[in-house]
Amino acid sequence: MSFDTFPIQLSLQVATIAILLVGPAGTALAWLQAKRSYPGRGLVDGLILLPLVLPPSVIGYFLIVLLGRRGLLGEALDASLGLRLVFTPTAAVIASMVVALPLLVKTAQPSLEAVPRAMEDVGRSLGLGEWGVFVRVTLPVAWKGIVAGLVLAFARAVGEFGATLMFAGNIPGRTNTMPLEIFAAYQAGEDGRALVYVLVLTGLSMLVVLAAGRLAPRGFGS
Amino acid sequence: MLRSLPLLLLLAGCQAAPGHSEATAQQEEPVDVTLAAAASLRRVMPELASAWSADRPGVRVQVSYGSSGTLRQQVEAGAPIDAVLFAAAAPVDRLVADGHVHAASQRVVATNDLVLIAPADSTEAWTFETLTQLPATEKLAIGEPATVPAGRYAKQALEGLGSWDALKDRTVFGGDVAMVLAYAKRGEVAAAVVYGTEVVPGVRVLDRADWDGAPGPVVSVGTTTEGEQQAHAVAFLDFVAGAEGQAILKKHGFGAP
Repeated sequence: MSFDTFPIQLSLQVATIAILLVGPAGTALAWLQAKRSYPGRGLVDGLILLPLVLPPSVIGYFLIVLLGRRGLLGEALDASLGLRLVFTPTAAVIASMVVALPLLVKTAQPSLEAVPRAMEDVGRSLGLGEWGVFVRVTLPVAWKGIVAGLVLAFARAVGEFGATLMFAGNIPGRTNTMPLEIFAAYQAGEDGRALVYVLVLTGLSMLVVLAAGRLAPRGFGS
Repeated sequence: MLRSLPLLLLLAGCQAAPGHSEATAQQEEPVDVTLAAAASLRRVMPELASAWSADRPGVRVQVSYGSSGTLRQQVEAGAPIDAVLFAAAAPVDRLVADGHVHAASQRVVATNDLVLIAPADSTEAWTFETLTQLPATEKLAIGEPATVPAGRYAKQALEGLGSWDALKDRTVFGGDVAMVLAYAKRGEVAAAVVYGTEVVPGVRVLDRADWDGAPGPVVSVGTTTEGEQQAHAVAFLDFVAGAEGQAILKKHGFGAP
């Protein structure tokens, strides 16, 4: 049986880069939603959740419309920077980031909300700035929820299929992540080859769910 | 359990009742002939189907489109298909070998040609021969060779020219030939390999695979051994191979077998 480890490597790489990029932004968003009230906060909440409820095909469509070769932004990126995203590993990273964001924000947000304001105010009264309060007071209390969010977001990023297929395409050796390879192998009747990646993804997801269950203060199993 | 008894009786009654009027029921019930057709036949099939069923009241043709490889899988998995019309002989051969298609029914009903296309507004002038000069940031689209015959032909053509290895990592695979065409139409790729019959406004033909030893695409058909509408399936394929069917295929750009 021909077995190629490239899809495994690529999936892990894509998901890792996606989480490195979306992690800080998602944590900041979770903090913003947890700690601040501002006009349009509900709308932002909805927008963050949207990729979780939208079919991946809709996300893929939006990505093509926005970042495609002739997309609203894609055309300008190509003309100004010569940057072409469609059918590249970068496109797979972007698709993974979009679907990972809501899981991160929605898992981290309750942990941040659970940090009592009074506790943070003590920090402020002792002369800490907002960043200091976050790092020295909020984070030490809420870190488990944030890490659980990152772990779940990573799992979602590794498993991203629909939007990736539309936006990153299937180029063997370049953009064929594990989920794409499973689909291609199944369609070609190579069920045995599909099974290898199915087992890898299932094992990985199992680990992630167990890890998130240990970290999250409530919900997510244990 | 008791509460569902009236419902059971009702269901039993429904099943028993039509027994009296079987003859009339057969006249009124439309017969569905289900075909699995290659994506490359999606434009010609509606016309073939309506021309054939025009003088067969009560017979409806249902067509399921997809890549020939995917459809072959579905037939093997027991999908209720009466006849297959694929874009290559190989997937039909395999169904014959596995006993899913009647060997005697297999035949080639049309030929096609393989073309290299580009988005209509592209100013490039690649040929199959010069494709290896495609810049590293540009992409070529072909069908997934494992399941899409157009992709397999394209790969064969490029292998024949010795350029497959150079192009492999710039080649994006489409799930069927319609998807490959869409990639080119949308300008997401610099070039694509499809059938001559796929060419529509929005894309431009750059080159044809017409050299000696270039792959020769065919449309291969057969009736399935497990289909329930054997007689209709045979009649439909005879029609496609006959004068009227051939005229319709020709109108859509297919070649004679």
